[in-house]
Amino acid sequence: MELKKLQQNWNSFPEVSMEERPVLSSDLEKIVVHNPLSGAFYLKPRIYRRIVAAVILWLFNIYQWRIQLKTGGNDLYQQAMLFFVLTYFIYFHVRLLLFADYQSLLSLKLIPFLGKLETILDKYILSFGIISILAGFYLLAAFEKTLSLLNSAAYAGISENGFYKWLIIIFLSISFYILFLHSVIPKYKKLLVTVRTYRGEIGSKLQKK
Amino acid sequence: MNNSQKKGGSTEVVRTYLKHQHKKVYSICRFFTTTYKEHQRLFADIVAAASQSIQHKKAGDEKNTLLLRACINMTALHSIMLRLEPEEDRTIQFKSPDYQRSMLKFRESVGEITDYEKILLFLEMEKVPQNEISDLTGITSYKKGVSLKEQPKKSFIPYLKEKLVWS
Repeated sequence: MELKKLQQNWNSFPEVSMEERPVLSSDLEKIVVHNPLSGAFYLKPRIYRRIVAAVILWLFNIYQWRIQLKTGGNDLYQQAMLFFVLTYFIYFHVRLLLFADYQSLLSLKLIPFLGKLETILDKYILSFGIISILAGFYLLAAFEKTLSLLNSAAYAGISENGFYKWLIIIFLSISFYILFLHSVIPKYKKLLVTVRTYRGEIGSKLQKK
Repeated sequence: MNNSQKKGGSTEVVRTYLKHQHKKVYSICRFFTTTYKEHQRLFADIVAAASQSIQHKKAGDEKNTLLLRACINMTALHSIMLRLEPEEDRTIQFKSPDYQRSMLKFRESVGEITDYEKILLFLEMEKVPQNEISDLTGITSYKKGVSLKEQPKKSFIPYLKEKLVWS
């Protein structure tokens, strides 16, 4: 009975008045080409930028690693480690991009759609961990470069001691991750929790039924 | 060169289809929006999402299903975004007195219901058959005595893709 009344109400619903209604003919052309996903829901450009940057660093790393191998330099193991981290970073982001498949994302059913958004956000948050490791390596390189310009004796002391270098890398990586935890990550985490809660609410509603 | 020129007449076909179906999009906006601005934003997002889905549709997907999925998915995103925003006045405010009156009456008769119930009600109003609802929401009802083993299995390639690309 209630539903019938509602249906009558629904059928007699007026259109949004002319001044409030989108001009379909002319605006539709613009609307259909605009991207409905935005902000943290659309990470494609960010992932692309990261892949391009990582590939450039990866190529430079191969070059550096080759030099270290030829000259038997002190940074051989660090360059090797950096190579593996960069390779994994590229692989991780390419995998994320393929998984997200933004073109077909919106044609998914509601629950798989929310589930996929959740996974994308979750993995994106995880990627900040790899960035922190990379930041540790590159900040050490920047630190060494600065030290070589300011104090060559101190630079020689550090560059020949691999143990200290690894300690500095670990310290910088953890510091960088803490920085991310308090700056960028909360925004994505908040969104992830909201998506998860929303999906949970829909699921629990069905269980109650 | 924009999308519409590149794809020849395909965008034109999608545009015509969406133009004919725009009332459906308006309908779902009634449940989830309270102001004209919100209404316009959600309308544009749903139309864009539907257009994108239809243009990249896979064999077997129907336009109407994709449009309804776009409606549901975008309203879910809209609700999620609203939850992230600071608490605002959620009273209904439309310029048109007719529309304002109908919205108030409609919301009053609907009452306080969850988003999922709103979606179900929208599908009911749009006369979507009960058996097609799970194809839109992805929620399979186990009420009818269908065992898990009898649930349709995913075809091999998407399953393999899902496992290999991301698990």
